[in-house]
Amino acid sequence: MKTDLFPLLAALTAQKFSGGIFLMAALVVVGLTTYLILTSRTREEKYAAKKRVYGLRARYFIGLSVILLVALVISLRFLPYERYQAKPDQTVTVVAMQWTWKMAAGSSDQTPLEFTGSNEISLPAGKNIRFVVASADVNHNFAIYNSQGVLVAQTQAMPGYRNELAYRFPEKGDYMVICLEYCGGPHTIMTGKIHAL
Amino acid sequence: MRSENSTIADGPGLADIQQHKKLMTVWSVTFLILFPLLIVLGLLMRANQGEVVKMEYSTFYSLMTLHGLGMAGTLFSIAYAALSYLIATRYVKLSVALGTTVYFLVVAGVVGLAGACLIGKFGAGWYLLYPLPFIGASWPQWSTGLATVSLLVLGAAWLVGSLHVVLALSKKYGGFSRLMGWAYLGRQEPESELPPIALIATVSLIPGILAFLTAAAFLILFLLQLFEPSLSFNALLLKNLLFFFGHTLVNITIYLAVGWVYVLFPEFSGREWKLNRVTVYGWNATFLFILFAYFHHLYMDFAQPLSLQYIGQIASYMSAIPATAVTIFGIIAQVYHAEIRWTATPLAFTLGGMGWVIGGVAAVVDSTIAINKALHNTLWVPAHFHTYMLAGVVLFILGFLYYLASPQESARENTRAGAGFWLFVIGAYGFLAMFYLAGANSIPRRFADYATMGLASSHQIGALLAQIAAAFVVLLLVGILGVFWGLFVRLIARRTPPL
Ligand code: HEM
Ligand SMILES: [Cu+2]
Repeated sequence: MKTDLFPLLAALTAQKFSGGIFLMAALVVVGLTTYLILTSRTREEKYAAKKRVYGLRARYFIGLSVILLVALVISLRFLPYERYQAKPDQTVTVVAMQWTWKMAAGSSDQTPLEFTGSNEISLPAGKNIRFVVASADVNHNFAIYNSQGVLVAQTQAMPGYRNELAYRFPEKGDYMVICLEYCGGPHTIMTGKIHAL
Repeated sequence: MRSENSTIADGPGLADIQQHKKLMTVWSVTFLILFPLLIVLGLLMRANQGEVVKMEYSTFYSLMTLHGLGMAGTLFSIAYAALSYLIATRYVKLSVALGTTVYFLVVAGVVGLAGACLIGKFGAGWYLLYPLPFIGASWPQWSTGLATVSLLVLGAAWLVGSLHVVLALSKKYGGFSRLMGWAYLGRQEPESELPPIALIATVSLIPGILAFLTAAAFLILFLLQLFEPSLSFNALLLKNLLFFFGHTLVNITIYLAVGWVYVLFPEFSGREWKLNRVTVYGWNATFLFILFAYFHHLYMDFAQPLSLQYIGQIASYMSAIPATAVTIFGIIAQVYHAEIRWTATPLAFTLGGMGWVIGGVAAVVDSTIAINKALHNTLWVPAHFHTYMLAGVVLFILGFLYYLASPQESARENTRAGAGFWLFVIGAYGFLAMFYLAGANSIPRRFADYATMGLASSHQIGALLAQIAAAFVVLLLVGILGVFWGLFVRLIARRTPPL
């Protein structure tokens, strides 16, 4: 992607994009509702009014279907799952446990309980990293936040499963690992750190 | 289940109607008491997240659990009760004894949950995500047991209640295909009309019945695990079961509420609202989407089969079409140039429709897998479903209660919405806006506070937004207490007309 050509686009996170779309749509809906209420005092013969509304509905139906279809076709190409992931340059094993993270370079055959690792790790920036994420006890969620507090990648850590998450740290710096699945009282202190070098 | 007089599959009698009125009044008063209490729990959570008050983790999460289960259960129950009431007083005879039993079972379930959460500090969240209640829990096992049994009681009550309504409708209108409105899909007009509420009740309650059975299976596994700790079930399977239940419950709460909007709005607009081919297609499609949309809760479980992830997004997207093109356009056709007197009920219904659509937009955005990876388990999620619930369902309920509280239940006696109503609406949107802003700023959900995230900016933003939200909740609470007091007085004063 030629992100340098579009600095604005590059700064547009998925969160801001969602917020923007939502805000615009919500304002339209509020505007239409207000219009509907304010104009309802005028009286129109009910069959004529109905006919007009249902005429509009046909167009709305087609319009919405087209928008949703286009959005589906585009968005279903950007999935985070294994089949869509870039070839990894490096693998990292991550085990979540109440209430800390165990991370170490390389893949591991050990069970999540046996596995040893640290909740702080250094990884190369600009490389495709594959995180193999498991849990030693309950459900957790391995989420990476950048230093501006933006959630940039996540996958669940489930007992009995290994989820593979791909992420390329775009720049050097410190990233936080945060647990995004409620996992018991001290859930909020379950953090780790990744230094992208 | 066949009682002597219900073999005459005719409409309900007068004595019957009086009894259903009484039962509905009891449900309503219970709601007027329970709902503000559950809001107070929400206020306490936001105050803790805003660091205005300070509570233990275990307290926060037990309040969160009680709030979530309590709200979802209360709203479903009142939605079910109101729907049954309208059906029983207008279309089909329903058993008062069964309705009363459902009421007492629900009350017992709620009391049990309150005990488990407030005394036993049960704090697994509404979704009891297996195996959390059994590993590293900070609460005693008995409270997990009590919560599980209480939920089983609630589930049983809803199951029996839903079965009763569907069977009674089916007896009168003639079987599943009739209730699904398929007679409207042929070339000719059907010989006998099907009221929209019958179709909507069927489309909602049949998935509901499946959901309650699923919940029962899930909860029984929980009980087994409690008695035999060495057992271990597949966490992904149980998560699927749980979300099928939870998603369906909340989803059909909205649809049940929509059911009475179809019945009552015509009395205010003077325009009929009947089934036709389009509405029947729409609601039949909705039936499928209710069953398959829940997969969107498991997008971040990469181990879930890929095809289910696709189905989740497609079903979630598609569900927007019938919901808006059929029901929202139905409301527009009711309102547009209809010279409506904007008393409380039509106003609440129209604003409720607005909230439903706004929450729906946020839901569709979040049900996009490519976006969900940035929003999943942030406050965006509570933002969207609180919009559905607070700015949608609760307004539909208010509209119904305003109608119910008028002496003869007529459009003419409907009161105007007062200052309390507007305080509620403003407070609600202010409170919701803070959830959205927090979600767009990646603030996590189910965080007792944001101090330990290791991100100073997130901590600051999260806490500030929570404080502002808490202030709006206070407005909302003042407003709703005013509205509820008025409703309470009028409901109690309402004399049932002599037989
Ligand atoms: C003014 C009213 C309300 C307030 C102030 C409020 C507040 C809250 C707060 C602060 C949370 C925790 C959010 C988080 O950090 O994850 C929450 C969660 C929740 N709320 Fe509400 N809420 C309100 C109304 C409702 C309504 C009407 C419903 C109806 C279904 C509802 C259902 C839930 C559920 C299911 C949860 C999730 C609980 C969990 O994660 O286990 N709330 N609410
Ligand atoms: Cu965790």
